Amino acid sequence: MLRIRQLSRSFREGSRVHHVLDRLDAEVRSGERLAIVGRSGSGKSTLLNLISGIDRADAGAVEIDGVEVTALGEPGRTLFRRAHVGFVYQFFNLIPTLDVAENVRLVLELNGVRGAAARERSLAALAGVGLAGRAHSAVDQLSGGEQQRVAIARALVHEPQLLLADEPTGNLDEESAREMLPALLSLTRARGATLVMVTHDEALAATADRVLELREGRLQERRPVPGQPP
Amino acid sequence: MTVLRAASLRHLLRHPAQLTLALVGLALGVGTMVAVDIATASARRAFELSVAAVNGAATHEIVAGAGGIDERLYVRLRTALRGPAGPLAHFAPVAAGYVSAGGRIFELVGIDPFASVELNAGADRPAASGLQGLEQTRGWFTRPGAVVMNAAAARALGVGEGASFELEVGGVARRATLIARLAEAGAGLDTVILTDIAQAQEWLQSTGRLSRIDVRLPPAEAGAALAAELAALLPPALTLRSTRAGARETLAMTDAFTTNLKAMSLLALLVGTLLIYGAVSFAVLQRRTIIGVLRALGATRREVLAMVLGEAAVLGLAGAVCGLLLGVVIGRGLVGLVSRTINDLYFVVAVNEVSVPATALLEAFGAGLATALLAALLPALEVAASAPTLGLARSVLEGRALQIARRLALLGLALATGAGLTVALSRRSLLAGFVALFLLLIAVAAVTPALLRALAQGCARLTAGVSPVARLACADVGASLSRTGVAIAALGMALAAMIGVGVMVESFRESLREWLEQTMRADVYVTAPGPSEGLERRLEPQVLQAILSLPGIRAHSEGRRVTVTSPSGPVDLNAVRLAQPSYAGFRFTAGDPARAWGEFAHGAVLISEPLAWRLSLAPGSTLTLITADGARGFPVAGVYREYGNDRGEVLIDLAEYRRWWRDESIAGLGLFLAPAVTAEQVSGAVRAAVGGRQTLLVRSNAAIRALSMRIFERTFVITRVLYWLAAGVAAVGLLSALLAWELERARELALLRTLGLTPAATAALVLAQTLFMGLVAFLAAIPAGLLTALILTEVINRRAFGWRIELHVAPAQLTNALWLALAAALAAGIYPAWRSARAALASGLREE
Repeated sequence: MLRIRQLSRSFREGSRVHHVLDRLDAEVRSGERLAIVGRSGSGKSTLLNLISGIDRADAGAVEIDGVEVTALGEPGRTLFRRAHVGFVYQFFNLIPTLDVAENVRLVLELNGVRGAAARERSLAALAGVGLAGRAHSAVDQLSGGEQQRVAIARALVHEPQLLLADEPTGNLDEESAREMLPALLSLTRARGATLVMVTHDEALAATADRVLELREGRLQERRPVPGQPP
Repeated sequence: MTVLRAASLRHLLRHPAQLTLALVGLALGVGTMVAVDIATASARRAFELSVAAVNGAATHEIVAGAGGIDERLYVRLRTALRGPAGPLAHFAPVAAGYVSAGGRIFELVGIDPFASVELNAGADRPAASGLQGLEQTRGWFTRPGAVVMNAAAARALGVGEGASFELEVGGVARRATLIARLAEAGAGLDTVILTDIAQAQEWLQSTGRLSRIDVRLPPAEAGAALAAELAALLPPALTLRSTRAGARETLAMTDAFTTNLKAMSLLALLVGTLLIYGAVSFAVLQRRTIIGVLRALGATRREVLAMVLGEAAVLGLAGAVCGLLLGVVIGRGLVGLVSRTINDLYFVVAVNEVSVPATALLEAFGAGLATALLAALLPALEVAASAPTLGLARSVLEGRALQIARRLALLGLALATGAGLTVALSRRSLLAGFVALFLLLIAVAAVTPALLRALAQGCARLTAGVSPVARLACADVGASLSRTGVAIAALGMALAAMIGVGVMVESFRESLREWLEQTMRADVYVTAPGPSEGLERRLEPQVLQAILSLPGIRAHSEGRRVTVTSPSGPVDLNAVRLAQPSYAGFRFTAGDPARAWGEFAHGAVLISEPLAWRLSLAPGSTLTLITADGARGFPVAGVYREYGNDRGEVLIDLAEYRRWWRDESIAGLGLFLAPAVTAEQVSGAVRAAVGGRQTLLVRSNAAIRALSMRIFERTFVITRVLYWLAAGVAAVGLLSALLAWELERARELALLRTLGLTPAATAALVLAQTLFMGLVAFLAAIPAGLLTALILTEVINRRAFGWRIELHVAPAQLTNALWLALAAALAAGIYPAWRSARAALASGLREE
């Protein structure tokens, strides 16, 4: 269960202060797939950063499965994140100096899983996204869709309770997005992980159990737009 | 290897040019440090070997000043210090001086082989003579001019066993016969010719006199008690000192010289530190996004810190190892330069073996590694501490770099103030002088990025109305401090050092030239050849008479240079009887000349600036010297400028010298010629008058000045080599940083091309930017270089040698630095310029 209470975050630009998140509240059930939509600059990525403990809130709390992430110190947040949270980014953010399998294995090694066990699990994760045959390819030899599938394998290989996806289809063409989506959704579901994704992609949002819109610093239930799918 | 480490290592390997240049920078820094240590340690080792070989097992030595020791004392001491079981101490007499053979200077050491064997009996060192067999022993005593030499030295002279050859002792030719070669003598005897003591006394014209008596005392307390007893037995003119103390005293003469070399090598390492800082900062900047990903995936700050420091450690290890190897190679080259300077200025030493001290290697290795880690610490801490947000915006990064540059500029001002305070608050400390110098150089590095930014912005504003491309070029430079700031700072620092050293050397040269012009008043100088303070250096009385009776000489000065002992160690004494015009050749820096000369004529002494500084003496002080009658205080009447001897000298009236040291010899003459008589005419007449009686150095005023300037230039060759090494390190750093920066901008340049900039204009743009940066480093270096020169002349030289040097600044002295700045900037710009002009636009635009 992900619980967010009265979460606030503002940024200062010169003398002006932008209140990006303003006493935001939300609850996401375990295993739920939540899509967050909103205009550019509305604070969607900031919200993901606060949930994962990458960024610190000005006020409020984020609680994941009973652990108040916002109350943890820096090392605590990092250790919690690497054990319990997976990330998928718009620009994949694979490490260019590592091959495909090493990119996946990296997270396991950070979590203390090494050697043969790490290798086996990373290959299994790659097989799960259909890339077992590309385990030793350089990442820049893969297509965008393939790179995003590697990122999904990396995000899920350590079986986190929470998967955060920031515009996962934002850098993909339609066909690549179609290839990537089943992997993201089925694997998340199969592992019983909670999925919180930020997206502009209506097709992706439509696959979520619930869609929330971030507007004026708060999350609101999405109002159906006439002529658009709910 | 963990995946994290693999990622880190592969990043380094994926940027081979960047990696190589950083390694070269560090390796040059470490290499210079090792090279200087090797060169000075080799010279020191050669000297120690020589001392050990000549002194054998002696623990102490009895030494005298100019007059030497009456050899009857030796006999008295042998009989005085005897116990019921035999002698309590062992003595060996030595008569030593300098001779030349085959164009090389040797120390002629006359020994008593029996006493020498006795002194060395039971010790682990052989007697110096090394005679083997009856035949050689017989030859030692019966063959006139019998000498023994090291096999290597004999080979160098081309003298075989049993062969005769010519030695020159104080210009007088002597016939020597090599009766034995010491095959196992080692390098310690490379500059030594051994002969019987009676033979040496004859050649050195010191019959009945000894240069020293070697003494072997028992160890520990018994030895100390005996030493006290022995000292009490000695006449007041003699001193008992440990052989180690004697060697230390001689070696101490080179302390200031070796300290200066060490400081120059540290400068190269300091520049190397900035380069490693630049390389690691750049590597971190390039991977900001990746490090952000790693942090988001759960890598802790400590893991990121360890990763970056690990990279620095790998760089440091590789750079230090390469530096050690490079240092050994450069060190072998420097040995010749260092030993030549020591021979020119201090004592005779032949360095035939290169010593590579393990401690120096370990020190340099540690310094290289520590330097790399220290340099990487700041960027490592910065990236580890920053929030793991992905890919900080470039503007944020540059904003931070600008903030840092501003803080650094303030820090630079504080450091420069600190340098000033360090100088003001420390009166004599050489170390404080070097601290001030390094603070100043670091201050230059700290101020340069802010200056770069300010000048780039100024240029951008100026060119805004002229050309948008020119404006872009300038603005880009100002907005890339995070990429280029450190390299420009390192270059600025190296250029400041280069200007500082250049101005100092030029100022020194000018001061020396002026001093020579003022001091060298005579038209022709006649001296006996040999080391300047060698006792054997004397004009034969008949030769002297023949010269002075030549027509065309209207006046003459005469003098004798010797080294005498004093409670503060050896002191060089210049005993003179000056011709009237010579008085004007002395420029007083303390004391009233008229009064000082008056007192000088009545037994007071004048001292040179270096000696005044070294012994903290001033007019009115008393200088105690050990005369033939024991210690005597001489009033100091004045201090004069003198650049010929960095240990300083005492000027004493020749009559006073003769009175107190009982030495009637004359070593040199200064001849003042009558009108219309030329130096060439008199030189020829002197040579003819002397005939074959003595080889003399007869040189005109101009020739001596030219020779002095040549020695001066030789002395500073090593300084130049070292500062070019430091400058080379900086140039490599600039090349590395600018190359990386320009390659990083490939996309932006491709965009400009797409917008219509021609390939030639693109290349010109890139070159203009790099040249601009080189010029900024040069501009920052000018005031700092002049301040560096001021510290070098007014503080370092003063505190190291006691010299006061007047600053001579000419635009020509800045040209080396300007050429280096432009050449480095141009070299850094050529490849990126060529690449950006030829790049395929489509692929360039796709690059991220």
